[in-house]
Amino acid sequence: MALIRGRDRKGGAQIFTASMADIVFLLIVFFVLTYKVEVDRTKMDLPDTWIRIKVPEKAAVISISPPDANPPLTIRVSTGEEMSLPVSTDEEIVTFASTEVAQNPNKEFIVKADESVPYERVDAVLDALKQSKVKYIFLLSEQKTVQ
Amino acid sequence: MRIKKKEIQSEIFTGSMADISFLLIIYFMITSAFSATRGLDFALPEDTQTPEIKQEDSIDVHVLRGGVIQVDGQGIALEGLLPYVADKLKQNPEKPVILRTDPDATYGDMILVFDELRQAPDKIDMEIKTISIPTRREIENLWSMLGIQ
Repeated sequence: MALIRGRDRKGGAQIFTASMADIVFLLIVFFVLTYKVEVDRTKMDLPDTWIRIKVPEKAAVISISPPDANPPLTIRVSTGEEMSLPVSTDEEIVTFASTEVAQNPNKEFIVKADESVPYERVDAVLDALKQSKVKYIFLLSEQKTVQ
Repeated sequence: MRIKKKEIQSEIFTGSMADISFLLIIYFMITSAFSATRGLDFALPEDTQTPEIKQEDSIDVHVLRGGVIQVDGQGIALEGLLPYVADKLKQNPEKPVILRTDPDATYGDMILVFDELRQAPDKIDMEIKTISIPTRREIENLWSMLGIQ
């Protein structure tokens, strides 16, 4: 009778991959559900606040880049459905906001600015929005946490 | 003679499924962004209902460079802001708060004070009915109307 000795036994060093497909599909489902196109990808440190209201989807976005960005303090605008574009003057912001308000008088606007931006620039943006008869403004922020 | 029946293979080829799945995951990971979707809101008054707020009838909060806060012309710490506002609101609950910010101050300084004022219902159990954030142009227009240079 031939006995199979340890050294003769073929060692199968396999990795169990049957559940990989499940994990991968779970990840895909997660990404599909949470997927949201960010219309403005300007990297910045938003100010921290305790009060945080959910901003409406499809709201127009006006972003102000940080002073140390390249180029600094660039203002970009987006309708909320298309990628943001830079504007060079405050009049262009007024024109952009007025056009949006003409199409939808209750259009919401999100101001996304770095916390180190001089208030002068934010003031100019708020003034342009007020001139354009914008009704609702959201100042984007991060959640403040206990130190 | 028996004719052998040909067995038709009815399997779906799934060999490339893993590749496609991983490709999709990589695509979603690169293009999706966990963006901030919350912030402080404020509604602007419509032209027809714009109230005329006089400075002496309101609580004037002025944010200066470096985050220094002045309330009605007096320096105050952030922690002392809401107790001061509470005293004023006890006399007149309708009293509006005007939040002015120096052009040299940062946006973060202004948001810090605005966030503090918005926490009034939680911290002092009182609601500030109107928080006005006038722009520099509006303040200058008001001053020129009042004849102040």
